[in-house]
Amino acid sequence: MNVFRIMLKELKVIRDPKMLLFLLVSPLVTMLILGTALTGAFNGSLSVGEINVLYKNNSSASDFSRYWDDFTGQMRQAGIKLEKADEKTDGKTEVKNNRYVGYAEITDSGLEYYSSSQSLIESGIAKSVLTAFADRYRLAAVVAGTDSEQADAIMSGNGSESYVVEESLNATRKPGAMDYFAVAITTMIILYSALTAAQLIDGERKRNTAVRLLASPVTKIEIFTGKLAGLVVLNAILTIIVVLISKYVFNAYWGENLGLAFLILFTEIIFAVSLGLGLSYIIKGNASGTVVMIIIQLAAFLGGSYFPVEEATGFMGALSSLSPLQWSNAALLELIYADNMSATINAMLLNIGFAVVLLGIALTMMRRREGL
Amino acid sequence: MNVLEVKQLSKKFGDFIAVDNITMSVKEGEIFGFLGANGAGKSTAINMIASLLRVTKGEIEVLGKNIAKHSKFAKMNIGIVPQEMAIYEDMTAYENVRFFAGLYGLRGAELKERVIEALAFVGLGDKHKSYPKNFSGGMKRRLNIACAIAHRPKLLIMDEPTVGIDPQSRNYILGSVKKLNELGCTIIYTSHYMEEVEEICTRIAIIDHGKIIAEGTKGQLKAIITNQKNISIEVRSAENLNKSKLEAIAGVNRVEVEDRIVKVTSDSEINNLNRIIQQLMADDLEIRAVEENEPSLETVFLTLTGRSLRDQ
Repeated sequence: MNVFRIMLKELKVIRDPKMLLFLLVSPLVTMLILGTALTGAFNGSLSVGEINVLYKNNSSASDFSRYWDDFTGQMRQAGIKLEKADEKTDGKTEVKNNRYVGYAEITDSGLEYYSSSQSLIESGIAKSVLTAFADRYRLAAVVAGTDSEQADAIMSGNGSESYVVEESLNATRKPGAMDYFAVAITTMIILYSALTAAQLIDGERKRNTAVRLLASPVTKIEIFTGKLAGLVVLNAILTIIVVLISKYVFNAYWGENLGLAFLILFTEIIFAVSLGLGLSYIIKGNASGTVVMIIIQLAAFLGGSYFPVEEATGFMGALSSLSPLQWSNAALLELIYADNMSATINAMLLNIGFAVVLLGIALTMMRRREGL
Repeated sequence: MNVLEVKQLSKKFGDFIAVDNITMSVKEGEIFGFLGANGAGKSTAINMIASLLRVTKGEIEVLGKNIAKHSKFAKMNIGIVPQEMAIYEDMTAYENVRFFAGLYGLRGAELKERVIEALAFVGLGDKHKSYPKNFSGGMKRRLNIACAIAHRPKLLIMDEPTVGIDPQSRNYILGSVKKLNELGCTIIYTSHYMEEVEEICTRIAIIDHGKIIAEGTKGQLKAIITNQKNISIEVRSAENLNKSKLEAIAGVNRVEVEDRIVKVTSDSEINNLNRIIQQLMADDLEIRAVEENEPSLETVFLTLTGRSLRDQ
């Protein structure tokens, strides 16, 4: 009962207009600004120009030339024009001058491809089909030693008709700016609750109310649980309001499984509150608030709160994967747009796992400490 | 019956001994004055009694039950008024008292009745819906007390409840303490104001360097220093006073100057008043009045600890 009483007291913070403004209005305004301002960056279409590739065939193998001619014919039908260069033409210069998206030079030792840095997408497509051709030819060349018919069959593409297969990653829908930022800002504002959590126990110490709480017939665990539960419930209520406003007022798309989306957000709330509480015990004094703020800012930047990071690769990709917001954002987008449950479960497990560790540390340190 | 029994209680912080093997008891119906300078161990002892600090060694019994084994029972019967304000500024006076009283198991109509009663008792009956941030220092102090008494504790620990407030609020609080005591609440009272302790406390313990160095009624404590007398000499200006020469007079133990009053503590058996006055006149001080007083609790404290309670 005392846990419930302490929890209810924590909810009274909602009466503070400044706090309410920060917790409720600021995410909605941020969502509205980013969702409106960056609409152009999320239109979902990409135009691909002409794909003209220059080549020189210096191969002495007669079989190769036959297969190559067949290949260029197939490519023409697919919209990729492979144009033979005369002896005097410098293919690399032509690519540099942006007259072709790539230049392929075929010799007996193999196929070399020079791509244009000015037409990355077109050049990438050309490179992909050339690589596929080269791989297929390598296989055919090995088979040809024992069975020439089989080699012909490989090169004619038996079983895999085309070098280019059209696929759709997001068959039904892609997130628009408002859809994306509804998710990203909601998860970011949840992480901000770590800041409140960092002051949760310290606030009682500063107000000296910790003395009264500890002198009353309530255990430390009850105080801890009540305050934790209060903050989690408070943030859950605010999150529900933010999500519903974004859905019905801003028309942001939250998918068909809103319950599961709320579950991911709920585990993130538990994680965020645990992060703040854990750090407030590990780092004593006001420094904990500063550290939590730095973590939130980094997590927001790397986790896609201000711009999408799902396609980030290399060092940025590795950094991004460390952000707790990236787990939740990726899981929510996968759930909303691809109905992918595995990403959802992974994110929830990560959130709960880290929360258990952080709360464990906080509880252990609290029990050892005199006072709260 | 003893409401509180402390046996050989010690508290160590690392190598520092804050409370050193103290033994004391508080009887039912007493207002027990607990005096000590800052760092003497008074707050540490009080915090152990209120279960805010762990005991290093010794035992504490509240109403005959060991608090280590019956923590909840002890807490249910103790109320604490901390020196620092311990209230929520973002909750009304009523909500503050209701919240803390609720932690003691009070519910429903009984809880409401006790909250109203506690607020009325401290003179905040018309401030139920007001927020403490709009209160004066004295009103906050009174709310601090209301939060500690709504559950009707048998033992109330008041740690300097009148610090930094106006005389009117102080008188109100002192009156409330007496009234609470009349209603059957046993009180442990600490204060820097010796006159408050003299006025309300029935028994007093003095703690210094973690040890209780004296304990008893006001009369018993004053009897410790019956071999001393206090002479107060009012002068026009004490600027030219040569303190060391005055202290060198036979029998003089201590000389203190407060504004225009020169306070001399001297052995009562030595008649040195003439020499003291002669010395003051030699310093060219214009004497306006001379008074010989009974030793006060302040003198007792000074004699026993070597420092004034307000010099902290």
